[in-house]
Amino acid sequence: MTVDGRRGFRSYEVYQRERVGETTNLVNPRDLIADDYLGDPFTVPGVLRENYPCFRDWVGNRFWLTRYDDVTSVFVDDANFETRPRMSAYGGSMSGHDLGAEPEVQQVLTRQIDAAIVPVLDRTLDSLPDGAAPVDLVSAVTDQLAHDLFAHAISTGRHCSELLELARIVRGGAGWNERDRVAGQAAFADLVKMLELVLAANKGAPERDMVAALAELGASAADAATTLVELDTETLPASLANLWCLLLTNKAQLDQVVAEPRLMKFAYLEALRHSPPTATTDRYAKHEVERFGRLLPQGALVHLSAAAANRDPRQFVDPDNFDVTRKDLCQREPRGQYRADGLPAPIVFGHGKPSVLPARPKESPRSRFALTLDIAVAASLAVLERFPAMQLAPDAPPSMRLDRLGGTYRCRDLLVNIS
Amino acid sequence: MSPHPIELMALGQAFDMGCGPDGTPLIDPRLFDSAEFRRNPYPYYRIMRDHYPVFHDRLHNCYYVTRYEDITACYFDEVGFNTIPKGSSSGVLGNTQLELSGLEHRRRRNIYGRHLVGAALTKRLPSIERIAQDLIAEWFTAGSGKEAEVDPNSGTATIELGKAFANEFPISVVADVLGIPQDARAQFTWWYDAMMSGLGGSETHHDGLVARQDLEDYVEDLVAERRAAPTFLYDDEGNVVAMDIISELCHAEIDGDVMSTEEVTSNIALVVGGGGETTRGAIMNLWYLLLQHPDQWQAVQADSDLWQPAFHEMLRHSTSIGGQPRHNTFDVEMHGVHVPAGSLMHMVDVSANHDDRIFADPERFDIFRSDLYSEKILRSGHNKDGRYSHMAFGVGPHLCPGAWISHQEAVLGSQVLVGALPNVRINRERMPSDKVATNELAPIGLGAIRTLWLDFDTP
Repeated sequence: MTVDGRRGFRSYEVYQRERVGETTNLVNPRDLIADDYLGDPFTVPGVLRENYPCFRDWVGNRFWLTRYDDVTSVFVDDANFETRPRMSAYGGSMSGHDLGAEPEVQQVLTRQIDAAIVPVLDRTLDSLPDGAAPVDLVSAVTDQLAHDLFAHAISTGRHCSELLELARIVRGGAGWNERDRVAGQAAFADLVKMLELVLAANKGAPERDMVAALAELGASAADAATTLVELDTETLPASLANLWCLLLTNKAQLDQVVAEPRLMKFAYLEALRHSPPTATTDRYAKHEVERFGRLLPQGALVHLSAAAANRDPRQFVDPDNFDVTRKDLCQREPRGQYRADGLPAPIVFGHGKPSVLPARPKESPRSRFALTLDIAVAASLAVLERFPAMQLAPDAPPSMRLDRLGGTYRCRDLLVNIS
Repeated sequence: MSPHPIELMALGQAFDMGCGPDGTPLIDPRLFDSAEFRRNPYPYYRIMRDHYPVFHDRLHNCYYVTRYEDITACYFDEVGFNTIPKGSSSGVLGNTQLELSGLEHRRRRNIYGRHLVGAALTKRLPSIERIAQDLIAEWFTAGSGKEAEVDPNSGTATIELGKAFANEFPISVVADVLGIPQDARAQFTWWYDAMMSGLGGSETHHDGLVARQDLEDYVEDLVAERRAAPTFLYDDEGNVVAMDIISELCHAEIDGDVMSTEEVTSNIALVVGGGGETTRGAIMNLWYLLLQHPDQWQAVQADSDLWQPAFHEMLRHSTSIGGQPRHNTFDVEMHGVHVPAGSLMHMVDVSANHDDRIFADPERFDIFRSDLYSEKILRSGHNKDGRYSHMAFGVGPHLCPGAWISHQEAVLGSQVLVGALPNVRINRERMPSDKVATNELAPIGLGAIRTLWLDFDTP
């Protein structure tokens, strides 16, 4: 908008008015922030997908996109849409640079996790109690495994658990809840204090973990704290928990994987599609853009429902079914776009703009998707091998739920008999 | 997530939503969807003004600006805080001058703004008074649908002020100025009521669209006729004052081009919606407040000039329009809060009117207050000599163009009403009680009361 010359004003001739037949009265926008939505982020967004593909949610002041092609088209369109870092929810009161995309940081993360996966898995599974008492597979295996791996990758020294926990609290404060925001601010201050000590201790040390790599890059404590907060440590445990929840509640599917373990990778991809841990993601219009039959003004919040898009019947046959032999799902890691082999991939990570590189250089670290996929498949195969007769404990049906609006959709309690 | 965790409180007290480590009270954004907030908003706005003058509501993806001085500054900065539609009203009304800025806004606004002020209005005051008298005459006309209920023993008559007067009076005045035949009066109330309550995508959005379509169907032929042959407004002597607003809209040229029928009907919808509901609410709230303050009521009866300050104090105390949306054109930082460009920023007029940095003891209704400017409404606002204009009509380029006619309607209408309602009092049995202090009348809260049952003596 130029201030001089055109006086800085323009006319809005774009048609904004809605017609009687275009009302969205099949959905009450309050249902999208209701308690029921946290337990079931599929049904109401499914109504949007089939009726109002770009839904103007007046209560939440956002546009909902729910169809697969629409959602992925926004992910890859960084000319028109931007993501805002989690920390921006704190309104600029806490600042630091996210160095998570630096190759040194990515390489050390990958190296540390690759080195730790086998011993951590063995230790986790060895520690399960013998006997007939039911075991919570989520807290004892999936969460424990993810915690140990990330703790090892982030800081091999002391404080690794505290660092992870503080970063989790800061992330939790980025939602709508003011109490969580206050707790997040306090946690960020603690995180910075703790990282000052850890960074000082790592200065000049060999790059053995992420904090050491950050110290080597000259990161301030605030930068390191921001990097930790922006690091996604929740998708791995949540997706693993959801995979096992789906396998154990779909005995026929589990039997197929037991008979043919190579299907585990497909089962994991199918679990990501069926029950994505990141049920929704936000993008913002960088400038005014007309898309999806609507004028999206500058700054408009575009709320992308991966939950609805992953069950788009335009892409997937019987989308509500969990089917490990599904033929219409991409079965390998897509490189920068959502389709490989002409098939749609599950939406779980925002892939961003497709790479112009014809292939990933050998020495570059694997993508977070590939890394997570490898860990999850290795862990699930190990669990299957160790406990082939594992069954759900009776009278404790598992369920999945969003921990908060915009949070993680996951199974939290999965009681099983392993013997 | 429970949608309504906020309990009802005694008026003036805030529900405890928790505190930060330094004791600062927190705001739970679910508050803004709660019945408590609609009924008892002022203690919460006080918390926001004192602790979060720019509050980022991350549940509803918007920011609230709550202090008088900040809102005034934003209203005057129409480049920095634009009116680009993000859906506040354009979904129902269509594109109107509400969403324009600068020259384009002024050109359109001036087409009909001048009908609502100055000589054009003054010459038509007698006809406004006549509309009021005609409505009152229907109270005692069998079959009018507005008959007063009269108790033959006591001689006490009862009316519901909305149905008997306030629903139709403002819209009849507006219909006159617009040039809509009075035979459509029966639909007026529904049109504006449904359209205004359908704004903002509320549960009544669908009804708003239906009413808007019905209005369009009605005025479509009218617009075609006026394009061919304009019609005029006349004063009491039969002299032409100006073209009526619809004719004016049909014939006005902007950049050498006439407006499309769509734009004309959108602006008609805006005038019908804005001119109906707001003044209805003003008359209802004014009478409700005055009748609950007997000393002030006596004073107004003794001196009819006091209707003017009473009208302004009512608008300061309980305006029926909560505020206006703006969007920041650039990234801004206000009170330490970073607001990215294009964010929805609510300018909360209701809170500005209760800002104790400006108005002493703001929750008190007092038509004699010395810090409120109570004369002719100015686009530039008024803030000198310790007197400040209220924010009910906004200030700056987007000051309500109907502010002055609304003022005249409410004051004139009330002066006529007083004569028709001897010994008037609120019929408390038919009025809703407060949900907490059940022996008290329900407060106005946000918006305007829907019904006001009045008893008065018949000769």
